[in-house]
Amino acid sequence: MITGLLNSMLASATPILLASLGGAFTYHCDVFNIAMEGMLLAGAFGAVAVGFATGSWLAAIGGGILAAAILGFLFVVFAVWLDADEFVTGIALNLLALGTTTYLLRQWYGVKGAFDDPSLPAIPDVDLPWLEPIPVIGPVLSGRNLLVWVGLFAAVATWWVVQRSRYGLRLRAAGFNPPALEASGGSVARVRAIALVACSVTCGMGGAFLSLGYLTLFNENMSAGRGWIALAAVILVRGSAPGIVAISLLFGFADGLGLQLQTRYGLAPQFTAMAPYLATLFVLFFYARRKLGESP
Amino acid sequence: MKVFPPDVVALDDVSVDLRSGEVHAIVGENGAGKSTLMKILYGIHQPDAGRIRHLGREVRYSGPRDAITAGIGMVHQEILLVDEFTVWENVALGNEPVNVWGRVDRERARRDVAASIEVFELGIDGDALAGDLTVARRQQVEILKLLHRRVDVLILDEPTTVLAPGEVDELFEELDILRKGGRTIVFISHHLDEVLEIADRITVMRKGRLAGEVARGEATQESLARMMVGRNVVFTTERTPVDKGEVVLSVVGVSAEGLDDASLSVSAGEVVGVAGVTGNGQGPFVECIVGLRPTTAGEIGIGGQDVAGVDILDRRRLLSYVPEDRRRAGAAVTSSIAENAIMTHHRLDPTLSTGRLLDRGRMRELTETIRSGFSVVMSSPDAEFGSMSGGNQQKVILGRELSLDTDLVLLDQPTRGMDVGSIEYVHGLVDRLRSEGRAVLMVSADLEELFRVSDRIVVFHRGGIVADLVTTETDITEVGLAMLGGASA
Repeated sequence: MITGLLNSMLASATPILLASLGGAFTYHCDVFNIAMEGMLLAGAFGAVAVGFATGSWLAAIGGGILAAAILGFLFVVFAVWLDADEFVTGIALNLLALGTTTYLLRQWYGVKGAFDDPSLPAIPDVDLPWLEPIPVIGPVLSGRNLLVWVGLFAAVATWWVVQRSRYGLRLRAAGFNPPALEASGGSVARVRAIALVACSVTCGMGGAFLSLGYLTLFNENMSAGRGWIALAAVILVRGSAPGIVAISLLFGFADGLGLQLQTRYGLAPQFTAMAPYLATLFVLFFYARRKLGESP
Repeated sequence: MKVFPPDVVALDDVSVDLRSGEVHAIVGENGAGKSTLMKILYGIHQPDAGRIRHLGREVRYSGPRDAITAGIGMVHQEILLVDEFTVWENVALGNEPVNVWGRVDRERARRDVAASIEVFELGIDGDALAGDLTVARRQQVEILKLLHRRVDVLILDEPTTVLAPGEVDELFEELDILRKGGRTIVFISHHLDEVLEIADRITVMRKGRLAGEVARGEATQESLARMMVGRNVVFTTERTPVDKGEVVLSVVGVSAEGLDDASLSVSAGEVVGVAGVTGNGQGPFVECIVGLRPTTAGEIGIGGQDVAGVDILDRRRLLSYVPEDRRRAGAAVTSSIAENAIMTHHRLDPTLSTGRLLDRGRMRELTETIRSGFSVVMSSPDAEFGSMSGGNQQKVILGRELSLDTDLVLLDQPTRGMDVGSIEYVHGLVDRLRSEGRAVLMVSADLEELFRVSDRIVVFHRGGIVADLVTTETDITEVGLAMLGGASA
C-alpha cells in the first residue's frame, strides 16, 4: 500500500511540479502569471491532437508545448509588450483555453466530455531493472513515466538557472527593481518574455503528462485547477525550486491518499477529490502563522 | 564633446562642451532643460536637431547601454539598485562575467568588484546587501557601477539631494579623486553653494536655453541666481521680529514606531526647523502630530487641546499640513486642480456643498482665491493637477492648507525639488506666517534653508531629538554634527 501511495503521489505531483517550475520563472521577474491553468489545459489538448495525428509520443509532447506556447505568446504580446493588465490577460487566456479545447474536441473528434482512442500514443515509462530488487525505493523509482523524471530534472535546472546563471540574475533584478535592470543595460521586457516562454514549455509538458502520461485520453477541463494549485505553490514558497518540489509532492501525497481512501474504504469520490484543496488550506494556515510570527 | 541640441520646447539651441578632467556643473530652475539635455546625451531621448561629438567623432546613442559602452554613464536622482542583491551583484548586473554555459562567474565578479572598490578608494563591503547600506553608500555603489565599466564621463543628476552635510563633503572628495584621474564629471544641481565649491566650470540654463557659461572664479551665488531666474534673488530672507505668543503645539515624551520619547513645543509667532538625515524619526514625528501614525506613549496638545483619540479630520481643524511627498500624500495627481484645491475644505467648509453635492461655483471661487493669492500658473482649474510644474503644484497645496487658517502649520520638506524662485516664495510665505502669529514646524533636508527661516532648530537622530538650538546661537557645523550623531547639546 505504501508503494502504491508513493506511486500515485509522484504521478499526481508531476503536472503541478512542472507547472510551478515554469511559474517560478514568472514569479521571479514579477509577472503575475495566472495563465498556467490554461497553459496546462492547452498542453494536454495539444499533445492529444498531435499524438492522434502522428502516432508519435515525442511529437505529442512537442504539440503540447506548442499549444501552451501559443497562450504564452499571447500573454507576452498583451501583458508585456502592450502593457495590459496581467490579471485580466490571464483570465482571458484561461477562458480561451477552456473554450477552444472544448470546441475543438467536439468539432474535430465529435465527442463530448472525453476523447479516448486506441491509436493515441502513451508517453513511455522508464524501467530501471537494476533498482527493482531494492525494497520500496526500487518499485517506486522504476517504471515511472518519462515526464516524472523530466520534472525532477527541470527542478534542478530551474534552481540553477534562477540562482546561478546570468539570465537568472537579470530575471530576479527584473522582479525586484525593473528600472535598476534597465539602467544597467538589461531589458525587462525581454527577460519577462523569456520567462513566459519557459513557463509555456513546462506547462506544455505538464499538460502532455496529464493526457498521455498519467492517462491516455483527453477530458474537457482536464487540468481541473492544477494550474491554480501550482500558482498557490509558487507564491507559498516564493519561487524556490526545492520548495516547489516539496510542496508538489505534498499535494501529490494528498491526492494519492484521497485515491487510496476511495478505493480501499469506499469513501465518496467527492470527498477524496477535496484532498488537494484541503492540503492547500492546511499549508496556507501554517504559512500565515509563520508570517505573523515574523512581524509581531 | 559637444552637444547642439534641438529646436524643441524643452531645449532650444543649447551648446555645451565638456573637457576631460573637469567637473562641469549644470544649473537651472526646474524645467530649465538640464535633465532633457543629459537624457539626449545619454541616449534616452533623441535630438530633433543638432549634433553630439565625442572625442572628435560625431555620435548618436540609441540608449543607456550604448552610451555606457562609449564611456558615458549617468547616476540618476533616484537610486537604482536592487536592494535584495549584494553590492557586487549590483555592480556586475548587466555586465556579468559568464562562462560558456551562461553561468555567472561569481568568484571572478566578486574579485573584480573588490578590486574596483580598492582602486577608487571607496569604503564599501562588496558582500553587503545593497538594501542595508545608507543612501550615501548606495550612491557610491551607483558610481562604482559605472566606473567598473570604464566610464570616463560621469553624469550626476542632483546627487546631493539625498545626502547629509558630512556626506556631501565625502562625495566631493570622491569626485575630486576622479577629476584628478582625468575623468569628466557633469554635476547637475540646484544648490549654488555646492556648485561653487566643486565645479570648474558652470553652465546655466533658463527655460530651455543657454543662459551663460562661467568659470568658477568668475561666479558668485548672486550672479548665478540672476542668470538662472533672470532677475535678482534675495538670499537672506528678512526675518520679521515677532514676539512669541502662547504655546500652540506641545509634544511631551511621544513614542511611536520609529520615534522615541520626543518632546517639543512651538509657540505662536515662532518657526521651528527640524533637521535630520532622512529616516531618523522626523517623518514619524510629523505623522504622529497629524494622526497618521499611532503613538505608544506621550501627549500631543494643539492649541491647549489634548489630541489623543482625535481623528485626522478633526485634527485638521487645528493644523495645516504640507506633506513631504506631494505627489502621493499631498495631492491626487490625476484629479483636476480645482478638486485638489478643495480637498479637506470640502469636509470642513459647509459652504462648499449643497446637500451631498459639491457646489461647482464655490469650488471655482476657492481655486481662484488660491490661484491669485499664491500666484499659481495654471491653464485652467479643470486641468489635471499633474500637468502643472512642481513649484506650482506645491503652491496649490500650500494655498489650500494655509487657507484652512489654523494656528499650527506643519511643513514637511516644502521646498524639496523646487527651483530658486519658488523656494524664495515659500521662504517669504513662512515669514508671513510668523508675523501673522502662527506656529510653524518645518522639516527640511536643506540646512541653509532652516537657518534662513527658523527661530529654533531641533535635530533628530535615531528616532529622538538630540539637539534643540537657537538659530542665532549655532552654526551649520554644529547642526550637521548633531545630525550624524555627534550631539553636543
